[in-house]
Amino acid sequence: MATPVMMPRQGQSVESCILGQWHKEVGEEVNEGDILFSYETDKASFEEEAKESGILLATFFEEGDEIPVLTNVAVIGKQGESIEEFKPGASEGEAEKAPEAITEEAPKVIEFEVEEDQVGARLRISPLARNMAEKMGVDIQILKGTGPHGRIIARDIEEAAQKPAAKAVIETPAPKAAPVSKPTPAVVLETGDDFEVKAIPNIRKLIANAMHQSLQNSAQLTHHMSADARQLMKLRKKFKAQLEAGEIKQNVTINDLVCYAVIRALEKYPQANTHFLGDKMRWFKKVHLGLAVDTERGLMVPALRNADDLSITGLSSQLKQLSTAARAGNVNPDLLSPAAATFTVSNLGNYGVEMFTPVINLPQTAILGVCTIVPRPKELEDGVYGFVPMMGLSLTYDHQALDGGEATLFLAEIKNQIENLQV
Amino acid sequence: MPKVQYINPDEVRKPGQIEFKPIPVNQYNKTIEDEKENFSNNDLIRIFHDMVVIREFETMLNLIKTRGEYNEVPYNHPGPAHLSIGQEAAAVGMAYTLGVEDFIFGSHRSHGEILAKGLSAISKLSDEQLEKIMDSHFDGITAAPVKAGHTGTTKELAIKFLIYGTLAEVFARETGFNRGLGGSMHAFFTPFGVYPNNAIVGGSGDISVGAALYKKVNRKPGIVVANIGDASMACGPVWEGLTFATMDQFNELWEGDMKGGLPLIINIMNNQYGMGGQTCGETMGYNIAARIGAGLNDDQMHAERVDGYNPLAVIDAYKRKKKILEEKRGPVLLDVLTYRYSGHSPSDASSYRSKEEVEAWEAQDSIIWFGKELVKAGVATEEQLEAIKTSTTELITYALKLAIDDEVSPIMNMKKHPNLIGEMMFSNQSVDKMEDRPVEVNHPMEENPRVQQLAKKERFMFDANGKAHSKIKTYGLRDGIFEAIVDRFYKDPTLIAYGEENRDWGGAFAVYRGLTEALPYHRLFNSPISEASIVGTAIGYAMCGGRVIPEIMYCDFLGRAGDEVFNQLPKWQAMSGNVLKMPVVIRVSVGSKYGAQHSQDWTALAAHIPGLKVVFPVTPYDAKGLMNTALQGTDPVIFFESQRLYDIGEQFHKEGVPAEYYELPLGEPDIKKEGSDLTILTIGATLYRALDAAKTLEEKYGVSAEVIDARSLVPFNYEPVIESIKKTGRIVISGDASARGSFLRDLASNITELTFDYLDAPPVVVGSRNWITPAHELEDYFFPQPEWIIDAIHERIVPLKGHVCENDFTEAEQLDRNARGI
Repeated sequence: MATPVMMPRQGQSVESCILGQWHKEVGEEVNEGDILFSYETDKASFEEEAKESGILLATFFEEGDEIPVLTNVAVIGKQGESIEEFKPGASEGEAEKAPEAITEEAPKVIEFEVEEDQVGARLRISPLARNMAEKMGVDIQILKGTGPHGRIIARDIEEAAQKPAAKAVIETPAPKAAPVSKPTPAVVLETGDDFEVKAIPNIRKLIANAMHQSLQNSAQLTHHMSADARQLMKLRKKFKAQLEAGEIKQNVTINDLVCYAVIRALEKYPQANTHFLGDKMRWFKKVHLGLAVDTERGLMVPALRNADDLSITGLSSQLKQLSTAARAGNVNPDLLSPAAATFTVSNLGNYGVEMFTPVINLPQTAILGVCTIVPRPKELEDGVYGFVPMMGLSLTYDHQALDGGEATLFLAEIKNQIENLQV
Repeated sequence: MPKVQYINPDEVRKPGQIEFKPIPVNQYNKTIEDEKENFSNNDLIRIFHDMVVIREFETMLNLIKTRGEYNEVPYNHPGPAHLSIGQEAAAVGMAYTLGVEDFIFGSHRSHGEILAKGLSAISKLSDEQLEKIMDSHFDGITAAPVKAGHTGTTKELAIKFLIYGTLAEVFARETGFNRGLGGSMHAFFTPFGVYPNNAIVGGSGDISVGAALYKKVNRKPGIVVANIGDASMACGPVWEGLTFATMDQFNELWEGDMKGGLPLIINIMNNQYGMGGQTCGETMGYNIAARIGAGLNDDQMHAERVDGYNPLAVIDAYKRKKKILEEKRGPVLLDVLTYRYSGHSPSDASSYRSKEEVEAWEAQDSIIWFGKELVKAGVATEEQLEAIKTSTTELITYALKLAIDDEVSPIMNMKKHPNLIGEMMFSNQSVDKMEDRPVEVNHPMEENPRVQQLAKKERFMFDANGKAHSKIKTYGLRDGIFEAIVDRFYKDPTLIAYGEENRDWGGAFAVYRGLTEALPYHRLFNSPISEASIVGTAIGYAMCGGRVIPEIMYCDFLGRAGDEVFNQLPKWQAMSGNVLKMPVVIRVSVGSKYGAQHSQDWTALAAHIPGLKVVFPVTPYDAKGLMNTALQGTDPVIFFESQRLYDIGEQFHKEGVPAEYYELPLGEPDIKKEGSDLTILTIGATLYRALDAAKTLEEKYGVSAEVIDARSLVPFNYEPVIESIKKTGRIVISGDASARGSFLRDLASNITELTFDYLDAPPVVVGSRNWITPAHELEDYFFPQPEWIIDAIHERIVPLKGHVCENDFTEAEQLDRNARGI
């Protein structure tokens, strides 16, 4: 008997997905494990594999269609078998059976080591390796170079090209993430003499809407302060040494340490760990930390649930998994909901930003922007001045929820935590 | 030291003393009346005329330089003008008796000598000869402007041609005697016997000796005059030229008609100043420069001081001295006393001398005095002399107008022909022999003991089973060089070779063993231990038309011939406007084992200087082929040889080194071992260490290395290297030179620019340390070793699995060494 193929449900909050591309045509033979089609949710892209072998008997949707999850999108079976009963809306009874086909397996996780000082730094790659990667279609962003200073050299590209799987350690087989290096090219809607009008991807629409909503519906302002980063750097150095000595497995970054300090500050100032809901506020007992991640698709802010329960290495490990998943495009969409986090940290320090005004992820009450470390003169002791590495901190808060004094005290506490961080 | 000369202790230990003959000073005392039997009135008037021409020419330049106009003709001349106003009698007296076939060499202050010798030659050449010279020089380009509209005699035309050609040269015009590439300080015109003047003080001091050697060895008529300043007598190369010129062997060892001294006059144009330094009383100690001759040989170089303010005194001296040279009793040294009124250059404020001094000399001005004497003796009337002056002013004005006319006398159009000068740097000719006549040899080549011995040697290093032949049976690198050279000695009659220990010893490294038997003394001889004269004389020999192989025993001694190798040898082909060829192959042996002053690879110094070809073969096959090519060419080649390799056999050319003649093109690097993963490019003996490294890379790390031997440095064809890098993507460049500023770095820089997109890592240079070369026992810490190459690859190009570095090739170390200058 023929088998229906459903649009999977990627997380509880997802109601529909957009069909990206059919990889098989009707009438074509399909083997189990073949990629049938790609689809995307609000935040990520996925590929659906065939669970059965047979002939693709029918498809019910076109590329670009928005399809409610758990709806039949295709049928696989033997030549001549009926497809009628699988057509969407054909029979409620049949549709009810479908959930067993849903995979709730964890998204694929791509492991790659990013040294802290390489984040945002320029990629080291030899001219030859770069040319080879282009020709062979190898994604250099996810490669770890084996040349001097971690430079990606020709042999790394050769290896990656020979064993495509080797560039990514797959912990769980399905669903496969679409290759991150190839965001779907934008559709050109109109071509003028000196311009083109291009469609914007779904995620862009969502970001646009969220940002606009945020500024329209809150009273945001930003306070800037800087924190002496010497303790942070000392800790970072210690962890790095431990990592190199093999004493710990986790590469604890500056950002991890800042997040750790922020969580401690949030514990002291619970009014910042809130959602502002117009006529009421939701006060959280746990800290669910939102982490702004820059990805090829656009900005994503996955939440790390119960971040206040974690040790520094645990926090570091989980933040890394989260950001990796976000970059790979296969993070659990539920965690991407603005309401999933209680407070957000956005770190532009690696890009050299000295001060900025982050936009609040409503309904959250505040967001912390972490800026770059610059040496600033500081009084070291009575009348003696020296240059001290100072980290910029930009706290945007909703004045509807917090007053300036509270916000300042909270920010000062973050500074205090950073300067006196003990882990 | 030849065995025929026995140093008898009983003789040399005898007491005694050296007797000097009196050195004549200004002994000439004849009047014009006395000289009437030797000169016609016309001769005497011509002497006056030639002096006036020089005076007016120099006065014109002085006015152009100081006032920007002459005779209402404005012009700005930005270049040099070292003038000789006041020295005219010395120049004309020197040139008067010389034949066209006599050559003069000069200094930076030689306009007067060019004109004097040119005028002298014009007076001796027939109209037909003059026409031919003018029409053939650059196909008549120089003559065309003066020919246009000329109505007088051919001799008058030739004088215009001389003045114009010289002036156009001074003004850098393409119509100048040397296409404007020589300029004021280097102008010359060989058809009139005027050979290069030289902007380096004393530059002609050894080159002219080589020219005299050329005349002697090739039995050419004529003598050579070196016009050098009194201050140049302090220069080492001048002294070296003098010692070379006065070697005993010319009389003691050279045989048959070759026995006898060089046809050379060292003519000190003694204007008593070296720039502002007074040579008598301040910067020298000879008091009278003629004294110098007494220190050089028994004949005291027949030296005397001559009054250069009386042209007849100088002529008298030349008549007497030429006779000495004809009797093969040269060389001669003349101290021609003169004085310049003009400054060292127009910018000279004459702060070093008093007004009274200048005025006192002007009061005895040779032109005024000689004119008065002519009138007094009834040779000429005042009107006649005035007419000469007037017509000379007209002549100079005419030549000036013509020479500054951009239409008639353009400068080189470098916009239209951007490579014009580049194309003149080398003559790139292929010439079997510089002259077609029988060669002088002692026996047929096949009778030569070395040639016979070589016939029995193994021309490939390994036997059929891959086993190396014994060293004594193996045809080595020195044999390859020998075969090429002996072949040329039997082909080119002009070829000569010399250097330290070149004859009886066969060269310090036995390359020439066998040549002694084959060649008469004048084709192969021992030079004094004076590198400047070895190279300087070779330059003079070659620019006159001969081919020559000077030898520098150790590369470290190149500095001793610095001016000759860097300023003279590479420049003259282009500076002459391609009139001269420079078929000189300098053999330079690169040492090891003997420490800091005997173990340096200075290939970079030679490669840096435009105008030299530079090769460094390290296999017998390459050495013979490249030496053949170098000797077939007409350009200066610095031929480096490694003392580590003189006995190495041929390992690459499977057929062995051919016994017959073959050429290998200069500039082609050679792949000595093919590979696919990495390229190692080497200069010199490092090839063999690179091959060792390649072996380890392959056996231990599975890396297939391609090894390329640069063979040449200049020219250098990068194509094979680029092709190799397209294949391997990686390159190490190695050689024995200290890395800083080496040619290795030049290769790396060009390779980076040319192959950037193909590179998997930056080209890495593995050179010697920037230290003194230590003793043999410590050399492995100085010269690149196979392990260095592997360490550098691991550290900088591609980490090798399981490799542990012994040497520090990290960037930090590189930064630190550079920061410390070591």
